[in-house]
Amino acid sequence: MNYPVWYLPGTGGSLLIAIIAIIHVVIAHFAVGGGLFLVLTEHKAYRTKDSALLNYVKSHTWFFLLLTMVMGGVTGVGIWFIIALVHPAATSFLIHQFVFAWAIEWVFFIAEIVALLIYHYRFGKMSRRNHLIMGWLYFIFAWLSLFVINGILAFMLTPGRWLETGNFWHGLFNPGFLPTLIFRTAIAAIIAGVFGLITALFKKDKALRQTIMKWCAGWMYIPLAILALSALYYTVVIDAEALANILHFNPESIIFRKIIVYTSIILFGLGLFTLIRFPRKLQGVTVTLLVTITFVWMGGFEYLREIARKPYVIYETLYSNGIRPGEIEDINASGFLAAARWSRIKEVTDENFSEAGGEIFRLQCLSCHTENNYNGVKNKVELMTERGIEAQLTGMGKINTYMPPFAGTSTEKKALAAWLYRELLGKEAEVPQQVVIPELSHKVPPFDPLDDDYVLLLWNDIGMKCISDNDKILAFLPPANTLNAQLIQRASKPVIIPDGYTLSWETEEQHRNPQDHTRFWEYDSLVYGKDLPVATGLTGSQMSGEMVSVNGLWVADRIPIMPYRDDGVYNPYPLITVTARNPEGNVVARTSAVAPVSTGMGCRNCHGGGWSWNNVSGLADKTALNILRVHDKYSGTTLLEDAEKGVPRLCQECHADPIVGRQGNPEILNFSSSIHGFHANYLTGMYQESCNLCHPSEPAGATNCMRGRHADFLDCTSCHGTIEDHALALLKGEAQLKKAGRLAASLKPVSVTTWEEINPRTPWLMEPDCRGCHTNFNIAVDGFEGSAYNRWAPGATALYRNRTDNQGMMCAACHGSPHAIYGAYNIYDPMRDNIQPLQYQGLAGTIGTHESCRVCHTIDMVTSGHHRNQVNRLYEAVLQYE
Amino acid sequence: MDPVIPSPDIIPVHWLWFQILLLVTFILHLIMMNLILGGTLLALWDKVVNRKESNYAGTLPVILALTINLGVPPLLFVQVLYGHLFYSASVTQAVPWILVIPALILGYYGSYIYVSKRNKSPQLAMTGLAVSALLILYTGFMLVNNSTLTLVPERFAMHLNNPGGWNLNIGEPSLWPRYLHFITSAIAIAALGIAIHAKFAFKDDPSKADMIIKSSLRRFAWFTLAQFIFGTLFWLSTPKEVWMIFMGGNMTATILMVTSWLLSASMVYTAFRGRLNITLFHALLVLIMMVIMREYMRFAYLRDIFSPSHLENKDELWPLLVFLILFIAGLGAIYYMIRLATSKNNES
Repeated sequence: MNYPVWYLPGTGGSLLIAIIAIIHVVIAHFAVGGGLFLVLTEHKAYRTKDSALLNYVKSHTWFFLLLTMVMGGVTGVGIWFIIALVHPAATSFLIHQFVFAWAIEWVFFIAEIVALLIYHYRFGKMSRRNHLIMGWLYFIFAWLSLFVINGILAFMLTPGRWLETGNFWHGLFNPGFLPTLIFRTAIAAIIAGVFGLITALFKKDKALRQTIMKWCAGWMYIPLAILALSALYYTVVIDAEALANILHFNPESIIFRKIIVYTSIILFGLGLFTLIRFPRKLQGVTVTLLVTITFVWMGGFEYLREIARKPYVIYETLYSNGIRPGEIEDINASGFLAAARWSRIKEVTDENFSEAGGEIFRLQCLSCHTENNYNGVKNKVELMTERGIEAQLTGMGKINTYMPPFAGTSTEKKALAAWLYRELLGKEAEVPQQVVIPELSHKVPPFDPLDDDYVLLLWNDIGMKCISDNDKILAFLPPANTLNAQLIQRASKPVIIPDGYTLSWETEEQHRNPQDHTRFWEYDSLVYGKDLPVATGLTGSQMSGEMVSVNGLWVADRIPIMPYRDDGVYNPYPLITVTARNPEGNVVARTSAVAPVSTGMGCRNCHGGGWSWNNVSGLADKTALNILRVHDKYSGTTLLEDAEKGVPRLCQECHADPIVGRQGNPEILNFSSSIHGFHANYLTGMYQESCNLCHPSEPAGATNCMRGRHADFLDCTSCHGTIEDHALALLKGEAQLKKAGRLAASLKPVSVTTWEEINPRTPWLMEPDCRGCHTNFNIAVDGFEGSAYNRWAPGATALYRNRTDNQGMMCAACHGSPHAIYGAYNIYDPMRDNIQPLQYQGLAGTIGTHESCRVCHTIDMVTSGHHRNQVNRLYEAVLQYE
Repeated sequence: MDPVIPSPDIIPVHWLWFQILLLVTFILHLIMMNLILGGTLLALWDKVVNRKESNYAGTLPVILALTINLGVPPLLFVQVLYGHLFYSASVTQAVPWILVIPALILGYYGSYIYVSKRNKSPQLAMTGLAVSALLILYTGFMLVNNSTLTLVPERFAMHLNNPGGWNLNIGEPSLWPRYLHFITSAIAIAALGIAIHAKFAFKDDPSKADMIIKSSLRRFAWFTLAQFIFGTLFWLSTPKEVWMIFMGGNMTATILMVTSWLLSASMVYTAFRGRLNITLFHALLVLIMMVIMREYMRFAYLRDIFSPSHLENKDELWPLLVFLILFIAGLGAIYYMIRLATSKNNES
């Protein structure tokens, strides 16, 4: 932002920092521990009157001086140089904040150098006492140098009270100061032991060599307990988020955790061999290994510390890319490129779209990432679509808190996604799916208002049944389309026929072989625990059958109908015809209704993989695998491995879901909370567009499930809220679970102001209440305000799909399916969702509208018997589709 | 503000504190830098012409250690005052700049190879010394590059066309004259250092000491005379607005310039006369004046862009006070250690 960025697409700056830092940190610790080692070994030599050991101290001093003063000293300056090149903003901050700490450290440093030079050059030329004093002074100055630097290093992760006060001393003596000081002192002693072995090797005298090696082993093992305890102490003082990053969320940490474990085992295992009198050559190999492992071991610690600190370079103060948290909001409003001083491009235009994205990458991402090498982004985005990359950028810093949030406008975010997708991955820009909607037709069954005695009303229970339609890799929504019906015997006071009649259904001919279009019946045993005959649903329903009467409602339960026709046409609105027969077997009524079913789950929009079925719809294996990969990354599961072994999972095995009838694991979020809570973090600020990305509601898509009258002037968010609102209400319903808090942490409600205002809800059992707008059953012409969001139907029986009027008629029987209320408009066949209104009253509106009471009643009605505000409701819109 | 000039950070105390600390520590670093650069070049020259060197070259690794160490505080304080310009200049030439680190490490080891092998393996020692000299020269070249680029922020724009950090400030007219000015001054000061070293190292052999002192002072005088050319070249290679400050544009700067010319002339005379102490005194005064003039020059370069006097400060005095106390204590400790090292009790 403020500083130029060193363009290192190949190696990346952080790798250069790591190389210099690891060398320096090991040697710098050696410079401290080794100082103590020298003076104590000298003491030991005098005490034991061992002149050979004293000679060893002298030769070790020369080695110590050459290593610590040259390599250690200059790489220390090197770290300063390299961090100033890679993180100039952070370096400037640390220099300005702690200039006098650095200056104090320099005082100790120069005193340390003078002491060491005297200790070395005057070895044997000073009195024992004076030489030992010099040795002790060296160690004290070296340790004080560590004391100061440690404060600044610890500050970067645990700034503590400094965040509030900005006080120098609060910053230096921060919460991490003491544990890391103990930790680093212990490490210094261990490294002194390891490096002591190097010069010991050159001693030809076996006995002397062994004496020194035993002595060094003591240096390695005695501080080990202190090291372990101080490490535990450290985990207590660091921020919970930082610890969680190391232990759970940042997958980068896995390798370094393993490195620490394995190298610790090798280091302290192999160290024991120094106690055994092996031949010198073998000892040489062992020592070489030990020294090498020490560097890797130290690298593991330093990397883990870096990871704990992410996304900050200075905790809660400065992000790794040099942007301050407080700047993000302004940058998002005014644009990153305009704010970045070193940008060659100041504004994203159509002409420079990808190029501007590349500029944003260089200025905002390059401080940690390369293009395709160390911590390269190429392999991180290669499984995503351009849209998915954009979502990933939106989600940065939210659930994966180890990344800073993307800073910039939504156009800049799109430009960056475009550069990553088109330039870095070399893929063609995505073009919106061009769907050719076939023109379908239907026949309105006949109805003679004078002669016919029965009215049969038929509807789908939820208005659109989505199917995950993969099963080989994962599953979450089986084919299960439920139709409800009510049979009314016409009279002045009509009678609802509860039983005794036979209502049989039959699907459209082209939809009678679902087994030819889905793998559901191949994996039903594994996924659903039921080995079903083909074309048979989870409750035994087939492509034709008899409805069952449940409390007066006729139900065709979970018909496994698919949107794929045998002739290769995608039809998400197959018709089901129901014929009612009286106890004598005579047909008394017949009607049809759509069984809305879609496999247009838009996972592929972000997770890639395309559509599985004729490039139109269906969840592809590749998409599903990519989803599992992400799930495993965030939740530590092994779903991908399981799927690849041929064991696909039903998401609801763990995530409870009322619509699928699974209890799940009560310790983890239910399916709806989880999937919406997670994705809301990645699809923030998108309103209706976020719904369309996943659900088949995209107006230009192959399904366009919003067919009802409301679609003329409302969208999904009008009732359900934006994805943020929707997710927050669901997550609040499970607020007792820790994960709910994590997913909700970065979400801001849109339809209400605060989290406190949100009413929690349970998915499927608490839905937006129609009376949120239709207070007192009024309609738009009566004038109303408000929203159904946050006004949940209080339970399953109060839901639109389950509710009846004063006479026992289901709401949906007269008003139509949810999302397809009469008069509806269907892109495949405009009047397809209005068959019964057209059949019984010739108008595509609510049954009984425009004084059509005679559909059921044999006399004219003047009272609102079904619900208030019922009669004389003349609503022009119903006529437009005639 | 120019869009490619970053905003500076807030400083803890008044800027003059840092200006003073910068001046004091830079003078110390400059002395050591002159001794190591000039000393290495002279040692190399002596080897090449097979001139019998005095044993001063044995101190090179120690001097290099102290040079690097004493380079830390001025680098620190210059970053406090000019960090936003310094970091930008560094990133602009990141690759050659970071190579200073391996150069210093190798140069350092080169000097150790020279010292430890000069009797056993003269060829290897010579190679070590040559490598060391080259790498120290490279380090100096990069420091000159960086410090000159820091003065001309408008040239930072070169980074936009070449963001890989492969730029150098070669287009700067004062770059080579400044570099030559530093090299010649380093040789001169190192010659003076050799003379001082001889005075102490050959206490027991006054005639040898006298010979080395006289020859070294002659070298000092000749290289100082050369400075009249290189220094003037450097001075006049700067923009008119800059060199004019020493020609009446700024009274203090002008006085410093005139005085340093006069002192330099005087010290050439005393050097040719073989008078070590008075020459040393002159040289120190000139060096201090040169460092102060360097700051005036920096102000002049940046006059329309930035002045450290504009920096916001937090008035956080305690850390400064603790530093000053520890600094004095540190000096005391160093004194104590040197006393301890040279104590007569060591004989017991």
